[in-house]
Amino acid sequence: MGRLTVTILLITIPLFSADVNIYERNCVKCHEKLPVSLDKFFFNYLLKYSSERQVKQALRKYLKHPKRKSSLATEEIILRYGLMPKSTLSDAELREAIEIYWEKYKVFGKIE
Amino acid sequence: MSVSNVTATSINRSERITLLRFIGLYSFLVLMILILGSTIYFKLQKDLMLQTKRLELEEYSKELIDGLKLLHIYFDRYRTYPRNSLYRSAIYDADHVQIFSTLKHPEGVKLDKVIYTTDGVIQYIHVLDSYYLGTKYTVVEIDDDGKWFQDTWRNILLYGGVLLFIFMAAGVVLMRLFLSPMREAIHLLDRFIKDTTHELNTPVSAILSNIEMIDPKSLDPKTAKKIRRIEIGARTISTIYQDLTYLVLDHQILSENRQIDLSSLLKERIEYFRILSESKKLTFETDIQPEVKLYIDQNKMARLIDNLLSNAIKYNRRGGTIYVTLRPGEMVVKDTGIGMDEKETKEVFERYKRFENGVGGFGIGLSIVAMIANEYNLDVEIRSKKGHGSEVFVRWGV
Repeated sequence: MGRLTVTILLITIPLFSADVNIYERNCVKCHEKLPVSLDKFFFNYLLKYSSERQVKQALRKYLKHPKRKSSLATEEIILRYGLMPKSTLSDAELREAIEIYWEKYKVFGKIE
Repeated sequence: MSVSNVTATSINRSERITLLRFIGLYSFLVLMILILGSTIYFKLQKDLMLQTKRLELEEYSKELIDGLKLLHIYFDRYRTYPRNSLYRSAIYDADHVQIFSTLKHPEGVKLDKVIYTTDGVIQYIHVLDSYYLGTKYTVVEIDDDGKWFQDTWRNILLYGGVLLFIFMAAGVVLMRLFLSPMREAIHLLDRFIKDTTHELNTPVSAILSNIEMIDPKSLDPKTAKKIRRIEIGARTISTIYQDLTYLVLDHQILSENRQIDLSSLLKERIEYFRILSESKKLTFETDIQPEVKLYIDQNKMARLIDNLLSNAIKYNRRGGTIYVTLRPGEMVVKDTGIGMDEKETKEVFERYKRFENGVGGFGIGLSIVAMIANEYNLDVEIRSKKGHGSEVFVRWGV
């Protein structure tokens, strides 16, 4: 029994570490603490910016220079949790994180 | 002789061509007007149909947007696209990328338009203010039953046909109305020419026959010279008379075709014209092979020869020469006169065409030559050089 537990742990540790990508580490980690989930923010971006190109462009701009005017969060959330801090990620990392975010919540191919 | 024969008042070929051109132009303009009218009518009918369908499609579009809104809000719970059996639809993002479609023809969607028909369907585009699921454009599509198309075409053909008939009838009436004074003028002129021609015959014949009866030896030289001038004048009038008779009357007289002795006829006509040529001090150089025969109406052949000789005299220089050659299958009349350039040579057979106003005549001579040549399949060729003279070849099959 003890040997089996060790084996499962050895198998799952690399898997978990692989799942924790740049998006998980830098976005999900903080947003988990907020009452509004990341998918709601995604649909807010879709509602305002429509296309993949424009959504990604708006996200990149906001994450680099978060401003109250360009934030899609509600007033209440901003008052309670404040604006998110400026991203410390490099441009390439930011693009990668946004790409993962888009792929996770995009509607293309999901409508039945 | 009857001079009131209406058929004689025939409109000549160039006038007929003018009339045909008028009819052609008129028909073209009428067709253009009808096509333009039909196009406008077709477009209006199509717009009317689309406006009617637009109300229906707007309702469907609203329904689709409501469904999209719900799907946007509850996308984490269900993902079924809002469908309706009454219409098909599609959604596109701001970059015109298709998000989802149930359209029959999704490839031909024109997102820059509002409503249009394509491949048997009507498509209506609506631009959203809030992009549910990223949708900026909704496309709603219904089948186009084509009834409006059939009705419109039936009306175009029916009313277009009636209008075409009315226009053409009006055209014929207008043409007759406008042509009426011209026809009357031609008719009057025709009658005048016929009457005058008829009346010319008797005095000209009287003058010529009386001159022939005078013995020149019995006259003193001065009077003989005057009589000779009178004879030249009378013969010129006689030639013109013959031409006019041919033009205005001869087509009513049946041709008496037979095998004629062309050599004798040519010699006879040269003798007739010799007296006229003397006034310009012209010399005849002839090379006429005897017994050359041709199957033709003698009077018509005489007209042809007379006109060639008459031109050779008229357009020759003073003291020049007229060369006349006759061989089986070919007759040549050459002068040493003013000649013509290439353009003039091409136009020479047109009626009333004259290139030298200083000489007499009506410009109908070569037109008569062409008419006779055409009737008997004679080939007429003119070689001319400005300042050097002209050479007329008349050829026929032997």
